[in-house]
Amino acid sequence: MRYRVRHTTTYRYDEPVTDSYGVCRLVPRSLPWQSVESYAVAVEPAPDDLAHEVDHDGNHTSYFQVRTPHTALVVEGSGVVEVVAALVEDAALARPWESLRPLVEPRADGAWLATDVVLPSPLVAHEPAAHAYAAPSLGRGRPVGEAVGELVARIHADFEYDRTATTVTSTIGDILEQRAGVCQDFAHLALACLRSHGLAARYVSGYLATTPPPGQARLEGADASHAWVAVWLGGDRWLALDPTNDTRADERYVTVAWGRDYGDVPPVKGVIFTEATRSTLQVSVDVAPIA
Amino acid sequence: MSVFSDYAARVTQPPLDGRAERFDEVVRPDGALRRAWRDFAEVAVSITDADLHRVHEEIGRSLADDGVTYSRPGRRPGPWRLDPVPLVLDHDSWAPLEVGLAQRAELLNAVLADLYGERRLLAEGAVPAAVVLGHAGYVRAVARPDAVEPRPLVLSATDLGRDATGAWRVLGDRAQAPSGLGYAMENRRVISRVLPELYREARLHRMEPYFWALRSALLQSASGDLADPRVVVLSPGTQSETAYDQAFIASTLGFPLVVGSDLVVRDGWVYLRGPGRLERVDVILRRVDAAWSDPLELRGESRLGVAGLAQAVRRGRVRVVNGLGAGVLENPGLMPYLPAACELLLGESLRLPAVPTWWCGEPDGLERVLDLLGDAEPPLVRTLDGTGPDPATLDADRLRELLLAEPHRYVGQERVPGSQAPTWRAERSSPDGGTVIPQTLTLRTFTLRYGSSYRPLVGGLASVQERVGAPSASSKDVWVLKETPAEADQGLAEVLPMTTGRAVTVAVPRVLEDMFWFGRYAERAEDALRLVLACHAHVEASRSRPGSPGARALEVLLGALRRLAGAVSDDPDDELRSVLLDTARTGGVAQALAALRESLAGVRDQLSPDIWRAFGTTDRASTALAASRHSHQVEESAGRMLTGILSMQGVTASMIRDEGWHMMTIGRSLERALQVCALLSATATERRGIDVDREVLNAVLVASESAVTHRRRYRGYVRPGGVLELLLMDATNPRSVAFALEEVARHLPALAASTGSTRPERLVAELSAQLAATDVAALVAIGGTRRPNLEAFLDSFTGQLVRVADAVAELHVGEGPAPRPFGALALVDSLEPALEPAGESP
Repeated sequence: MRYRVRHTTTYRYDEPVTDSYGVCRLVPRSLPWQSVESYAVAVEPAPDDLAHEVDHDGNHTSYFQVRTPHTALVVEGSGVVEVVAALVEDAALARPWESLRPLVEPRADGAWLATDVVLPSPLVAHEPAAHAYAAPSLGRGRPVGEAVGELVARIHADFEYDRTATTVTSTIGDILEQRAGVCQDFAHLALACLRSHGLAARYVSGYLATTPPPGQARLEGADASHAWVAVWLGGDRWLALDPTNDTRADERYVTVAWGRDYGDVPPVKGVIFTEATRSTLQVSVDVAPIA
Repeated sequence: MSVFSDYAARVTQPPLDGRAERFDEVVRPDGALRRAWRDFAEVAVSITDADLHRVHEEIGRSLADDGVTYSRPGRRPGPWRLDPVPLVLDHDSWAPLEVGLAQRAELLNAVLADLYGERRLLAEGAVPAAVVLGHAGYVRAVARPDAVEPRPLVLSATDLGRDATGAWRVLGDRAQAPSGLGYAMENRRVISRVLPELYREARLHRMEPYFWALRSALLQSASGDLADPRVVVLSPGTQSETAYDQAFIASTLGFPLVVGSDLVVRDGWVYLRGPGRLERVDVILRRVDAAWSDPLELRGESRLGVAGLAQAVRRGRVRVVNGLGAGVLENPGLMPYLPAACELLLGESLRLPAVPTWWCGEPDGLERVLDLLGDAEPPLVRTLDGTGPDPATLDADRLRELLLAEPHRYVGQERVPGSQAPTWRAERSSPDGGTVIPQTLTLRTFTLRYGSSYRPLVGGLASVQERVGAPSASSKDVWVLKETPAEADQGLAEVLPMTTGRAVTVAVPRVLEDMFWFGRYAERAEDALRLVLACHAHVEASRSRPGSPGARALEVLLGALRRLAGAVSDDPDDELRSVLLDTARTGGVAQALAALRESLAGVRDQLSPDIWRAFGTTDRASTALAASRHSHQVEESAGRMLTGILSMQGVTASMIRDEGWHMMTIGRSLERALQVCALLSATATERRGIDVDREVLNAVLVASESAVTHRRRYRGYVRPGGVLELLLMDATNPRSVAFALEEVARHLPALAASTGSTRPERLVAELSAQLAATDVAALVAIGGTRRPNLEAFLDSFTGQLVRVADAVAELHVGEGPAPRPFGALALVDSLEPALEPAGESP
């Protein structure tokens, strides 16, 4: 599928901001199953400094500094991406999950790189409760594809999608207790479950193309950022799964960035110098299928 | 009795407690002195307990005079402690250590470059990936294969302890922002002063050339081929535990000491914020932990860092020393793998052995540590990066649980006994004030990249501890003796004492602010002390002749004091005592002194160290006052405190006439004018009968240091008009308001932000004109028992002076708003109900 993607973030302040520094991860990754035809990051007011880099995890990042006093800051990433469903070999999915623990077999092919996403990370602590929740799916010798697929299905079935259930400061423990959350929470929970059993898994941020209900027009800007996980299958093979929707990440999923957890890959973050005390944030995402 | 003969006799006794014997730094097992001490044994052996007692006292005074402090985490700054007996090492025992340290620094540098670049160590399995990636010091923001610094390590520190055979073992490395060089230098300065004979005899390596080398190394570390690089020392501020060390380094090297808010990133370059202009910074000697160095990419809540710093580092536009990622080297989990890393990266075998360490992430290591937990001397269990509960506080069962749950987070380390050395212990009961006992010590060494190689400091900082790993109880100077007298100090004959490098001339707003308050608090303390003395002069009269004019004058004067500092006690002596001693009493002397010290701590690098002698004097005066209940001690101590404060003017008289100096003078003058107005309004606005008024006015003249002038001018005839003339209008009296205003008007134009028509300048001109137009005869006019004109005049004048002070602060030291993360402002009327990411497919 080809998509025209637009992700706009607007901050408004009640007093002028004199200096604003930001880092954004908005440009999708180029991957075997995803090609980025064109992409641009625009900042308004025009930044005095704009630099593009590739970060520790290979994500595209843009750094900007705006010194024009402003009461509104708009950061927009937009472009055209083509995605196909990633192929995952059956043999890789059939391996017993225990053979894919980088800390147990550090010399296995690719294990040292996968180690980064098996250790606890700032937002994904190793919670005993998550370990216990995941245990029934990780029976001895079970093929990894089956085990992980079932875990994701259980999260989908047991947890309710509820925007009011959690906040940005919610922990894995809170999510388990509430049995509810948003995609970011389900991704973090899945990571805690997998990592506490020694499996390596990434947090993936990106977009999910939505299809309007039959007979209705597609609403522009109604889409949103999305988050899912990718489990290590040995070497450089990964299986991307979406616990929010209990599905593999296929051609509907545009991959922007990955890291240990949300903290490594927020779409926009920054520091401002201002006397302002109040601000509003508006985010609009549009993923439009094109021919 | 000779200290060392006694000590030798004591330590050669077989130990009673059956503990493993420790290596003694001074005495051989056969009772003879070690070689290092033999050369000057004659001098050493003649030292008695009484001598050491005297030296110990002198050290305390010396360190207090220099204002040397150290704060343990979470505590208030306390005095730095230094033992009178140095650790002395001879050339032959030092030489192998020196080679080992140089190799270790080179290895650490190579490890650092590899971990943030190619990562061969991890890919080839020489170091387990979990050891590095699980460590909080691994900074992903600077781990970019394409942006790696070739020489990331400039200055490192290594802590060493001896095993029972006397061999040095590495206990750990400090690479993030190694501290202690300043303390080492200060130790040397003090010891050479208090033990001159020993110091002269010993032929040891002097430390100065090492500081020249450090200065030159920092200048050389600028990226590219800058002819004239600018270096700053970035400090977390005066609350930091090693604030003294940082300021010492900055002032010794001649680089400005700055805090995060003094710096700003523009277009990827780092600048020092001056009033109205920016100066580019090329090298930052960092004493702020990496995690707090950049609120944009590292810890977002940090106020200590510089937004955009990581970006500037990645673009190679500023060099941070040591690099932001250097903290990863402080990881004890690396220790078992350094021998393999040394083979892989340098092709050499590692010379300096570390204390045996096992990483529990490896099954063998875990098993070994679990086994040893049951031993009489169980291993020291540590987390890789010091996060989580301190394992040292847990029992064996709990430790076992933690180790089994998350083995990759822990290491176990064999305990080394460390060596012992004679150490002074003060004992009040002992006839000589104390005695020398054997105490455990460890050694901090420093290594610097100078030119193309690494050079250890020939010397170091020894730490005296209860046992290895316990908090440091005291420190020792470290003397490394030369092989021949001709040997160059630090082996650095070729270093030029002053390598070129422009001094930064910009006064940053924070420095101007501190200098402004330095001026104000110094004046406030002085005026309060003079008022205390004037009060105390009437205390005796008030006791013996209640109701006399003198007694009533005391009431009025105490009233003036209470207007400044509130009331605490009805007893005059207690009241004065509390003004002098109680730091919580706002407006009092102790509080002004504490605030003064605080302002000075922020600009320590700009001032002569002599300024701290003043506090040595005031501290001793407070101690004496706290120890004595006698009334006369109030006068005695207040007098000595005044001497201390006045001595500061001797120091500031030799200051460079830069913006800071002008700012200090403005602060002092404004405070003086405010204090005169406050004193007059508490004393001269009311009539209390001719005898009482005369006593009061006399005391006012004394308290404002104008009694002599008044006597010469008015021949002892004290009346309100004359006093007001002298204290308000007389521009030739340095204690008058008119004089103070002239001073402010004279110094304001010297500040960079002044234009001749700024608000402070306008306000001062207006005030001077008002004062000139005031008629003293009208001020003294009487209405009932009061002088309403004077009252109104002083009220209005005080208000206007405060406005001037505020305007000065706003124009010249305003720093603008603090940095905040995008999301930190209260979100209102958000058009999107949830923060992203969110969303569910239908």
